[in-house]
Amino acid sequence: MHDDLPELPHLDQRLAQLRMATTQLDAPRCVEKELMQAFTHQFARRRPSHQPWHRRLGLLEWSAAGVCAALTAGVLGLLLVPPHLVDGLPETGALVRIDNGAAFIALDSFERIAAEPAPRLVEAAVPRTMLAAFGLPLTPENAGDDVRAEMLVGAGGEPLALRLSSID
Amino acid sequence: MTITPTTSDDELLRRMRAGEAPAFAALYRRHQGPLYRFALLRCGSPDTAADTVQEAFMGLLSGRLAFDPLRGSLPNFLFGVVRLLILKHEAPRRRESPLPQADDDDTPALSCDDACPLTRVLADEAAEDVRRALARLAPHYRDAVILYEMHGLSYGEIATICAIDIGTVRSRLSRGRAALAKALRTHALDAN
Repeated sequence: MHDDLPELPHLDQRLAQLRMATTQLDAPRCVEKELMQAFTHQFARRRPSHQPWHRRLGLLEWSAAGVCAALTAGVLGLLLVPPHLVDGLPETGALVRIDNGAAFIALDSFERIAAEPAPRLVEAAVPRTMLAAFGLPLTPENAGDDVRAEMLVGAGGEPLALRLSSID
Repeated sequence: MTITPTTSDDELLRRMRAGEAPAFAALYRRHQGPLYRFALLRCGSPDTAADTVQEAFMGLLSGRLAFDPLRGSLPNFLFGVVRLLILKHEAPRRRESPLPQADDDDTPALSCDDACPLTRVLADEAAEDVRRALARLAPHYRDAVILYEMHGLSYGEIATICAIDIGTVRSRLSRGRAALAKALRTHALDAN
């Protein structure tokens, strides 16, 4: 045990006697009792009370919850409203412009129409029910009618735009 | 989860901080004995020893004492805390008395009258003689001797607890033991 300490056999024996005599000594019981009371007191403050949750929240917590709820509702509202209700256009992908009873319906982007090298104009009769999808007026009386239209087609025959001379 | 003697101190500490009273009780019961015995032999007063043990555990409980498991074991950390608390308790007395010399082995014995529980417990007269001789050692020798001889700690552990280097532990232990042996010899001669 004492590799680098001077040998003192008598001392080692006496120290062993003291070690034996004190080995059973413990702190008084009252120390443990007081510590456990302190423990209970400390964690009782942290432990949730038996009140219902809504009564444990203060004014600050309720205010924060209200602001969070309002923000969440606003964001959700913006996300869930269909885009066509936002910009007022039908959800067809087409661009419609109505002016003095005549309508121009772009079936492709304006850039694509403008870039078409050799567009052709073709006369056509379009069912009014089909035009209703583009936001044109449809009544039970005129639902079965055809509308005279001029269709702009590309060099490959793909439709680019429709012009309706009279939609009334 | 149940607590067994093999449950680690770190686990008990974690559960204590989560509010498990049995974990704190287990931690206290595991370490109070050695800490109390160290404090008692170090300061000689059962009341002061009990107070320092209580204060050390209160610090652990309240979080005032930040124990870092990466920097050592919990028992050694608590030994260090108890030692500092005793030094703090002794500070007023130290201010009034001269500093001990390096080889001073004639420090007045710590007060522990006949009514002292330690004296009553130590019915073994031989053990009581050693305790009295130990109490006369200079405090810095007493730390090393008690931690090494009574608690079986290594030089490195004692160095950490007392915040000194290992060489100093070795020299204090050597001089402390020599002073203790001399005191016991003198006592035996006087008795004869």
